[in-house]
Amino acid sequence: MGVNYQTVLWNRNKKIYDRWIGLSMLIYLISFIGLTFITNVQTSVETLIIRAFGTLAIVLLHIILVIGPLSRINTRFLPLLYNRRHLGVSMFLAALIHGGFSLFQFHTLGNVNPIYALFSSNMDYNSLKNFPFQVLGFFALIILFLMAATSHDFWLKNLSAKSWKRLHMMVYFAYALIIMHVFLGSFQQQPSLWSTAILSFGFVVITALHISTGSKERKLDHIKTTDTNEGWDYVCDIDEIPEDRAKIFIVDNERIAVFKYNNKLSAISNVCKHQGGPLGEGKVVDGCVTCPWHGYQYLPHNGQSPPPFTEQVSTYRLKLIDKKVYVSPKALPEGTEVDPVIFNN
Amino acid sequence: MLIIIEIFVNLLLGYFIFGLLFGIYFFIKGAFKLDELIIESKWTVRLLLLPGAIGLWPLLLMKIIRKTTTK
Ligand code: HEM
Ligand code: FES
Repeated sequence: MGVNYQTVLWNRNKKIYDRWIGLSMLIYLISFIGLTFITNVQTSVETLIIRAFGTLAIVLLHIILVIGPLSRINTRFLPLLYNRRHLGVSMFLAALIHGGFSLFQFHTLGNVNPIYALFSSNMDYNSLKNFPFQVLGFFALIILFLMAATSHDFWLKNLSAKSWKRLHMMVYFAYALIIMHVFLGSFQQQPSLWSTAILSFGFVVITALHISTGSKERKLDHIKTTDTNEGWDYVCDIDEIPEDRAKIFIVDNERIAVFKYNNKLSAISNVCKHQGGPLGEGKVVDGCVTCPWHGYQYLPHNGQSPPPFTEQVSTYRLKLIDKKVYVSPKALPEGTEVDPVIFNN
Repeated sequence: MLIIIEIFVNLLLGYFIFGLLFGIYFFIKGAFKLDELIIESKWTVRLLLLPGAIGLWPLLLMKIIRKTTTK
């Protein structure tokens, strides 16, 4: 959304979040290094850095992966979702330091290319238990690199939202690789019950959250209106929609959001033009429907972003009979002006 | 197996060396061809886009070629 690109989209809130991210990372690293010094004096500095940043990266990755489902369960997590991008880049940088140091520590001694050494120092590719776990970390790091490198809005637009999304969905593949990287690594060195238990717990939490929100989503997809009136579908009673908010419905296989604001009702597509965020989960702020994911805005009566922005979503016709809200299931072309339904409280 | 690794590592290296060359072109010229909004944006934006250009050069090269031939 914009007439030019900013290097980093910062506003006051984002700066505060970023400061929190930075501070938390620092506290984590200092505590990790401090605790290791107290409990295990012989650890070398290089090993300490490798472990501190490796574990930091995986903690951040878990946070990143739970934010999505959590913010669907409870809207209070939405501010975290807005800031997930910077969290992702921070995670990549931590993983890069971990991988870079490992490469430096274990593979730069000989006179061969360190990447070649990484792939050839352990040749047990046929073994399940002794599989070269660092290779898995390497591939995960490449994926994380591509994701961090394409996190700017420029890429979203120029790679097309679809390919961008596909690329960023690979985070789940990277996550699987990293889980194997850590499990195999700890089994092949000195198995630590603690880290295995914590990681298993994290894995279970992430899987459970994704399954539960996924099934919720599928349920929504099955809500179909049965009550139709001369081509209009009944969706809900007017009192069911909270002020300045919306309810989401499926009509004609499309998700639409019916908004109530200022004694008016308007319906637009539920799908944000930016990354497909659920507009119906957002609020009307300053007269504009505001996407809960990154704050793109649309006018409820025509689906257009306020100038100078140019995004447009489809609109729908509504009518009110007594207290019942009906929608005409045919989507109007994106940005079509529709007179809002006016009601008296 | 060592041969496979050797080939793979060299391909990877080649990919990123070419990516670096493409990245320089992208920074100077390519970004403007892909997206007009870049003209109004600061040069630091292109600097930030550089890693992406290095990593995804085959895709971007195709897009730029397609865009300039259909114009
Ligand atoms: C080039 C890529 C990578 C290399 C060469 C690499 C190398 C290593 C090595 C050698 C260890 C064992 C360290 C030890 O126990 O002393 C390790 C452990 C670990 N790695 Fe990686 N890694 C890579 C990528 C990653 C990535 C992308 C992540 C996660 C985002 C990651 C997360 C971890 C974690 C959490 C551990 C366990 C640390 C511990 O046991 O204390 N690694 N890695
Ligand atoms: S999806 Fe990003 S603002 Fe709507």
